[in-house]
Amino acid sequence: MTEPFLSIRKLRKAFGAFTAVHDVTLDIPKGEFLTFLGPSGSGKSTTLYAIAGFQDPTSGDVLLQGKSLLSIPSHKRNIGMVFQRYTLFPHLSVAENVAFPLRVRRRPEGEVKRKVADMLALVRLENFAERLPAALSGGQQQRVALARALAYDPPILLMDEPLSALDKKLREEIQAEIRRIHRETGVTILYVTHDQEEALHLSDRIALFRDGRIEQIGTGEDLYLRPTTEFVAGFIGNSNFLAAEYLETVGGTARVRLADGSIVKGVKATHKLERGQKARLMVRPEAFRLRPADGNASLTVEILDTAFFGDRRRVVARTGSGDEIDARPTSDSAEVNSVDAAYGRQIFFDPAAAFLFPA
Amino acid sequence: MLLDYDRLGWLKVALLGFTTLVAAFLLLPMVFIVLLSFGSSRWLAFPPPGWTLKWYEDLFADPSWIEAALTSARIATMTAILAVAIGLLASFGLVRGDFRGREILRGLLLTPMVLPVVVFAIAVYAFFLRLGLGGTTAGFVLAHTVLALPFAIIPIATALEGFDKSIEDAAIVCGASPLQAKLRITLPSIRIGIFSAAIFSFLASWDEVVVAIFMASPTLQTLPVKIWGSLRSDLTPVIAAASSLLVALTLALMIVTALLRRKLQT
Repeated sequence: MTEPFLSIRKLRKAFGAFTAVHDVTLDIPKGEFLTFLGPSGSGKSTTLYAIAGFQDPTSGDVLLQGKSLLSIPSHKRNIGMVFQRYTLFPHLSVAENVAFPLRVRRRPEGEVKRKVADMLALVRLENFAERLPAALSGGQQQRVALARALAYDPPILLMDEPLSALDKKLREEIQAEIRRIHRETGVTILYVTHDQEEALHLSDRIALFRDGRIEQIGTGEDLYLRPTTEFVAGFIGNSNFLAAEYLETVGGTARVRLADGSIVKGVKATHKLERGQKARLMVRPEAFRLRPADGNASLTVEILDTAFFGDRRRVVARTGSGDEIDARPTSDSAEVNSVDAAYGRQIFFDPAAAFLFPA
Repeated sequence: MLLDYDRLGWLKVALLGFTTLVAAFLLLPMVFIVLLSFGSSRWLAFPPPGWTLKWYEDLFADPSWIEAALTSARIATMTAILAVAIGLLASFGLVRGDFRGREILRGLLLTPMVLPVVVFAIAVYAFFLRLGLGGTTAGFVLAHTVLALPFAIIPIATALEGFDKSIEDAAIVCGASPLQAKLRITLPSIRIGIFSAAIFSFLASWDEVVVAIFMASPTLQTLPVKIWGSLRSDLTPVIAAASSLLVALTLALMIVTALLRRKLQT
């Protein structure tokens, strides 16, 4: 087996009695865009800061190409980092900000000039070289910070929620920039965010953190289509959870009874459950249909609200047992009139697209 | 707000009148001193019978006045340098440090501002006499540095509190050692605070008279001590001229500070 580029081994960080990171182990191949996703306080930033060297882990190791980083002070790790807050040096121009890491490395003037020009071209801010940071918008400041972090060709780029201070439109714009820059430079990126859409948009792989542990790691598709736990299913994408009781597994698929007494057959059996055990059936909003197809399960619901979004509809409904459902069925024309009446409707879903988790 | 200036009505006029009166009461004596320094009366009579520059000529012709002014400037400059250096280190500790007794230390470092100066002066006088520092430039500078320290710490600590530590961290990730990051990034970013600290420490020493009287020797006196001494021996308008210059320099420094602050902040 070839040696992984960056390897996190049983990393643990405790603050007094509180353990922020529990034995996180992770291998990252060269050139990967890996996102640490998770709610605040889940240990994702702490892990990143341990790699940057701002926090000493309690135990465990971080290896870059087989060599431990932990004994190397931050400023000698040669790692690039973009912070959540604006961290441009306020008294230096944009060009001097980007030049700073090269100047502390005492690179020759010609190389500094060339590299600064390249980097500003990379983030498309060539015309802002002489400005001071205070004269830039938040989005521009983060792009300069990105240029500064890449100026010395670091093997790893760490990004700690770099877009969280920006508004939605700007965020999407810079996400596209980050993707392009990742493609163009091939740098290995570790990216921290609590925004699942951002994670899905940017990453090759996502490590979903919960309470200091990695709950699941995989591609966006893995996490969305094959969540291994209820937490993952609930965190990635919108999800509906229905109270259910596990009955039995027949031919690789499970049968469950919902709270209203109806039986659902053909659910993927991913977890080992005891007969009669309480469970939760998760259905994605887009898995719902307004007209039944072969093998579909049906739910009797009270429709609370409907709205039309062009390619999809939104139907908010409540089951007889009180579970609220947020459904986004496709709005094909045959179904258009079927949601007009507001009460006593049935709504359908493909059980093969549902997930069963122990409650 | 309850006491919004715009909603005070007729009280506004009263408030304006009262404020003007207080300001006049505080400033008029200085205006008189300046006017008297140009008056031709030997006895500081007001209004002066005529106008003259004679007292300024006398002032600049007397080497003891020049000597006192230079001594003051020298001591104030050294005090400012020392107070800023100590103030800078103390501010990093007070703002960034996480240790027991930090608030007590902060209070302790600021006490010279509220402690009766005369008490401090007597204590320092007795102490320095034993150490052989009485009447020496070093003694002057040390004593004044203690008094100037609060004026150095307050603006530097305030500037440092307003400076995001992440910026320094960013410099470190960029490859600067922690010391380099402070020298090349943090200090330039809080330069307004450092500059204010230098000016205020300079002025704290420049017009200090109580400690200076205790510390002074016949061969080493600052300008305020010389003024004080002359006032007691013979009441000459040269004192008014010296005082006017003292005020003028202080005013000039304050104006420079204000201008630089405005320039650095934009």
